[in-house]
Amino acid sequence: MSSVVQARGVSKWYGQVIAVSNVSLELAPGVIGLLGPNGAGKSTLMKLVTGQLRPSQGALTLWGEPVWNNHALFHRIGFCPEQDAFYERMTGGEFLRALLGLHGFPDAEAARRADSALEQVHLMDARDKRIGAYSKGMRQRVKLAQAFAHDPELIVLDEPLAGMDPLARRETIRLVRDWGKRGRCVIVSSHILHEIEAMTPNVVLMHNGQVLAEGDVHHIRELIDQHPHNIYIRCSAPRRLAEALVGYPDVVSVRFHADGGALTVESRKPDAFYERLPDLIVSNEIDLDEITSPDDNLQAVFHYLVK
Amino acid sequence: MPIRSWREIRTIAFLTLDTLFWSKKTVWVALISGLVVGLAALGRIVADLAWVRVPFTPSQAFSTLMSTAVIHFLVVFVTLFYGTALVSDEVEGKTLTYLFLRPIPKTKIMLGKYLALVWICSLLVLPAIIASYMLLYLRVNMQPFLEDVGRLAADLGIVFLAMAAYGGMFALIGAWLKHPILAGLLYGFGWEGLVSYLPGFTRKLTITHYVQSIFPHDDPAGALAMLVGERTAPGEAVLTLVLLTAFFVAVAALVLREKEYILEQ
Repeated sequence: MSSVVQARGVSKWYGQVIAVSNVSLELAPGVIGLLGPNGAGKSTLMKLVTGQLRPSQGALTLWGEPVWNNHALFHRIGFCPEQDAFYERMTGGEFLRALLGLHGFPDAEAARRADSALEQVHLMDARDKRIGAYSKGMRQRVKLAQAFAHDPELIVLDEPLAGMDPLARRETIRLVRDWGKRGRCVIVSSHILHEIEAMTPNVVLMHNGQVLAEGDVHHIRELIDQHPHNIYIRCSAPRRLAEALVGYPDVVSVRFHADGGALTVESRKPDAFYERLPDLIVSNEIDLDEITSPDDNLQAVFHYLVK
Repeated sequence: MPIRSWREIRTIAFLTLDTLFWSKKTVWVALISGLVVGLAALGRIVADLAWVRVPFTPSQAFSTLMSTAVIHFLVVFVTLFYGTALVSDEVEGKTLTYLFLRPIPKTKIMLGKYLALVWICSLLVLPAIIASYMLLYLRVNMQPFLEDVGRLAADLGIVFLAMAAYGGMFALIGAWLKHPILAGLLYGFGWEGLVSYLPGFTRKLTITHYVQSIFPHDDPAGALAMLVGERTAPGEAVLTLVLLTAFFVAVAALVLREKEYILEQ
């Protein structure tokens, strides 16, 4: 399958700050997750891909054509920016129809596409309401709608799930997966691993402007799993749980918290740990209040990978 | 130009017009325009007071109003505030992305925005001039009113031309600089205000010089300028203003096309 995005030795700097450093990628149709902590260079790379910025070095092409100032390509590109910014006085419908008009659609077609996009993001009821009166989740959805209303082949989404409620998140994830199945190239960025995992197994990991790893998310999980994974558990009987856990070879350490109601377990195989934990909880008659993993975000992943 | 091109430019113009019109700047611009009308009203009141012997006619009052408050202040003020905001407001508001990610050349985006600028400036300035004229001229004896209507039409045309030229310059400054207001103020009230009165060729590097050259009114500032140099012939001045406008807008479009706009997160 021919690639949509080709980046060769792409770097972007602003004065002394290197935002993207020597990135080479080829992205084919399908969903690609762009992962990285804040400041990793994800947004800058997305802006390079969508022609909003010009590479300081290297070459970036879409379908073999350079992007910068190539406005003809924008028929085929949709972009959902991270920033919450709109023409606040416009209604959701007016906003979409105006942008679709700029894509060259006649008024009737623009109206039809606008309604279809709003329908898909469940905003038809609010079509004639001013964006300035929208909630944060509604604003995020109308921003998403303008990215795909013109049915582009490449859809670039910068933190699309931010501010969405769980139902909207689920719907958005479903939309992204559908686009991927229909042969679109969808690039989605996030700093939350499980959000990306829900959308695609193909990820590109970025840190400090560089690509650290790319490929299947399970492969990256394996890279992570080579390093012990911390899991915080608050329950009714931390010591009883610890006694049940320490016999397992993947458990490296157990630390009890000062308040006596929680423990942090370090495990080399977090997947296996999560699989066995429910049985241990039930068999030891322990009430579970909270379970989180401070390492279940990319900050910790990158911390491990860059060590 | 194909119909589709005009549709795109028109859409951009309407978008920009809506944004500019409903911005806080419009309150200030309306106040300043209202002030000009207020000055005309004051002039009329003073002229009508029987016990005040005023040596000015409606024509003289209107000339003074036009040559001071309108040409040297209102026109520059309005075009400065709206012209510099054409691009900078969208950068600050982070909405520029939506326009740049559409399949239309950035030069057309600038053209659409510039049309909106001329539109809104005309909307807020020209009626103020017409209202001032009526306030100063309308009397039982309508002869002076009717006699000078032709000159009013010429004034409106000159003001429109001046707004087009200044608007182009401030649109360029706004597209180019991150904080354009200060540079615009320095240009509009500094360079234009001072250099147009210098002797020699340098005065021809200002828009004011060409506007003064076609301005039909007795202009104290223009009279001063004439002491240090000649006016340009009216035909040449009009052509220069049109060419300057086209040049500024073209360069602004070029800047918009080539510059990277960093929308801060």
